[in-house]
Amino acid sequence: MTSTETRADRFVSELAVLKIPDPAAARAGLWLRLGAALMALGLVLVVSAYFISHNTGDQLVQNDALTLGLTGVAASVVGSALFLRYSLTGFLRFWMARQSYDLTLLADRLLERDIRHDLTGTDAAPR
Amino acid sequence: MTALLELRDVRAAHDRITVLHGLDLSVAAGQVVALLGPNGAGKTTALRVVAGVHPVASGQLLLGGRDVTGADPRRLARAGVCLIPEGRGVFPNLSVRDNLLMMTFTGRSREEVEETAFARFPILAKRASQAAGTMSGGEQQMLALARGLATDPAVLLLDELSMGLAPLIVGQLYEHVAEIARQGVAVLVVEQFAAAVLGIADHAAVLVRGRVQRQGHPDGGLRAELSALYLGSSA
Repeated sequence: MTSTETRADRFVSELAVLKIPDPAAARAGLWLRLGAALMALGLVLVVSAYFISHNTGDQLVQNDALTLGLTGVAASVVGSALFLRYSLTGFLRFWMARQSYDLTLLADRLLERDIRHDLTGTDAAPR
Repeated sequence: MTALLELRDVRAAHDRITVLHGLDLSVAAGQVVALLGPNGAGKTTALRVVAGVHPVASGQLLLGGRDVTGADPRRLARAGVCLIPEGRGVFPNLSVRDNLLMMTFTGRSREEVEETAFARFPILAKRASQAAGTMSGGEQQMLALARGLATDPAVLLLDELSMGLAPLIVGQLYEHVAEIARQGVAVLVVEQFAAAVLGIADHAAVLVRGRVQRQGHPDGGLRAELSALYLGSSA
């Protein structure tokens, strides 16, 4: 900090490094965590249902265990879908950025070669 | 002069009721901007939006040229945004000294905070051991201002500074506000009683039902229109 720096200048520089969370990103993270939690919960429910049904001869309890097991399967399916949806979004976003970067590099290389070709009248590198 | 604080087409709501309908406003460093309007116009909501304590439904809040919409109000406060709310916001049961001590969270020492406060408001030094709630309204407002200044603000937001105070005291307080602005602080003042603030304001905007009805230099023309806007005859 220099002595000539005003409060307004300091304010601007402090705000420049201020981290502002993207609310949409926070929501995506929440869905991702919810998906993972549902998957885990579904598995727990299914395993619990298995043990409940095998530790009783009462048909009514077995019916309850069946319901519990099916609920677990449903939770796992929904959780997997959520997890896949939001983890794929992250992966595809990265992949798209990578593609875009690669294409820009390729375009720059082709442009450079064409300029060189125009100047010298020969190909600097084989096509 | 570049704007230190800027609101661009800001909309804000309380539950489902929209209070601000596309507010545009800017305050430069060293400038005093008065946001005037009748009760329920959305003035306090506008201040709370700038401080980051009320969510923006749409539009942009820019501070120092950077879009900080949705930023954590604690971070904005640390960077230099200071809101002095309506009702002064002092701790009535604590002494003046303890009220000032609360402002050392910014990293400044107790001595430094007291030195700044007592230099600007010498009366507070005399009342240092007195409970804040037993002081006069004007002195409490001075304490509120001193507490705000202890944070070394770059943007100062004042909500109804004149509330419940005698006109003479209000005049003195606004002299202090003008002095603070001269030191390069961007000041946004919300007032229901226009006469109090127009004497020091560089720019004024009249907010009616969440929309800026008129803004400009607080000259005779604007003053003349104010009463009509308050009464709703031209809204």
